[in-house]
Amino acid sequence: MQDKNQRNSISAGKPRFATTHWSVVSAAGKSSSPQQKQALETLCRSYWFPLYAYLRQRGYDTHQAEDLTQAFFGHILEKKDLQTADPKYGKFRSFLLVRLKYFLSDQRDRARAKKRGGDRKILSLSIQNAEGQYALEPAIQLSPEQLFEKSWALTVLERTMSRLEDEMAQKKKRNLFDCLKVYLTTDKDVIPYQDMTTELGMTEGSVRVAVHRLRRRYRKLLRDEIAQTVGGVDQVDEEMESLFAALAY
Amino acid sequence: MAEKMKCPKCGADLPANAPSGLCPQCLMKAGMNNSGKDKKAGPSELSSADTTSATPPGGFEPLEPKELAEKFPQLEIIELLGHGGMGAVYKARQKQLDRLVALKILPPEVGQNPAFAERFMREARSLAKLNHPEIVTVYDFGHTEDGLYYFLMEFVDGTDLRRIIQAGEITSDQALAIVPKICEALHYAHKKGIVHRDIKPENILLDAEGNVKIADFGLARLLDKPTSAYTLTQSGQRMGTPHYMAPEQVEHPKKVDHRADIYSLGVVFYEMLTGELPIGRFAPPSKKVHVDVRLDEIVLHTLEKEPELRYQHANEIKTDVETVAGKDQGANVSHKRQARYHPSTSAEAC
Repeated sequence: MQDKNQRNSISAGKPRFATTHWSVVSAAGKSSSPQQKQALETLCRSYWFPLYAYLRQRGYDTHQAEDLTQAFFGHILEKKDLQTADPKYGKFRSFLLVRLKYFLSDQRDRARAKKRGGDRKILSLSIQNAEGQYALEPAIQLSPEQLFEKSWALTVLERTMSRLEDEMAQKKKRNLFDCLKVYLTTDKDVIPYQDMTTELGMTEGSVRVAVHRLRRRYRKLLRDEIAQTVGGVDQVDEEMESLFAALAY
Repeated sequence: MAEKMKCPKCGADLPANAPSGLCPQCLMKAGMNNSGKDKKAGPSELSSADTTSATPPGGFEPLEPKELAEKFPQLEIIELLGHGGMGAVYKARQKQLDRLVALKILPPEVGQNPAFAERFMREARSLAKLNHPEIVTVYDFGHTEDGLYYFLMEFVDGTDLRRIIQAGEITSDQALAIVPKICEALHYAHKKGIVHRDIKPENILLDAEGNVKIADFGLARLLDKPTSAYTLTQSGQRMGTPHYMAPEQVEHPKKVDHRADIYSLGVVFYEMLTGELPIGRFAPPSKKVHVDVRLDEIVLHTLEKEPELRYQHANEIKTDVETVAGKDQGANVSHKRQARYHPSTSAEAC
């Protein structure tokens, strides 16, 4: 987990959690502006790991998977592939996986083109810890698609938690976050608020209110994060259910 | 490898890449709670939780029996039996009839959707028409003046299949007795066009005489919560998983037919026989426990990934199970298919 910031990081000077909505990017289609292209790049930088995991699960070795991931994103950005306004690309992750499959099937042609002197752009990613992350997945029984979806769900959660943690740290409430984050997945019946009062120097009532606020903020951030990757806010609940199902793989 | 940490909520092993060290499934589920269309932050997060108590991850804060009693003067509310994302269930007594009943209160937020009232009346009417000894009977339904939707149902004095499986108290003979009963109930409901959509051990109740009763028919559809993420039992709240859902239900939750129930039944059947879920590259039951090898084909046929390849009707499973369970030792289990199971193809069944 020590590398989660690395994994989510983007190029220096750019905000870690720039809000970029896939719906806006995809709606641009052929007429995508430089700003929209930049927005797509931001999304790609946030969600590259599931593609890397997919490639590894398909049998590509570490270096091939790294190269292909970066080349694929370069291809996406270069080719203006957003012209595909097909409804089945409503979700960013569906779009990426479908395009990646096309991209892979086209690899032989690409390799030939490269020999003839053609080359492709790549999107440089902070990819150095990818294999460490991949190794953490007990992935033997998963299909590449299942691993892709599971990794996607984990990335969504990681980004949400990182954002929540950052917000709390900025408010100088890092210790509060560290102590209370467990209540995002459990409740006072399992871990009584009383257990936290000494560590936090707060009354039980104050802990209760703080937990309530943390949960509310978490939910908001999670929904915002997912909203960035789907075709509209009306798809957030459905996507959340899909991601929940993927985590059970 | 470091020693495995467990989620304090659901008890699952925490994966090494758990976000912030928290259980990913519980974390996602926490985001799903009272999701509704929760653009309204703050007070919409359930009024009772606002200042005095935080909303538990499992859903809303159920009313105390005393508070509920004011809304249902015809009932004596005895105790809260359980609560979760699909509401809360209370044990109650109908004063005039002196009859024990189960009162299910749906999550309060459902009433905030103006379209729900009509859907509720329509669906509840068809659920109330289900009249089968293996299906929990709906006596009444409606809503209170302040908009709490409820079902008044048969009270099942017993336990649920989850508890029996967990206690390791179920034998293969019992499983072979229970499954045909479930099949009868499913077949009956399916003929009426009603799909359960959430068959799992928590929804299969057994009374003191060993009778099987299926609970929560159609509730997943009514509440538009098509996954097993929300579980409500009469015995308490529990974290569900989507393991019982048919693959097509995961992919297209709104487009399932009765064959999704058949798949879910297959998962329950497998779990009853082996104590485990059929996840990944799972072994046929007879390879894990000492059971009739003919059961392998039945179980695996219910777990076919493609609905077209599964049993098409629940009564076919009943017939095949009874063939194995009966004296007819020489009979072959069913018909058209032979040794369809291939581990490599079943590996993605979940």
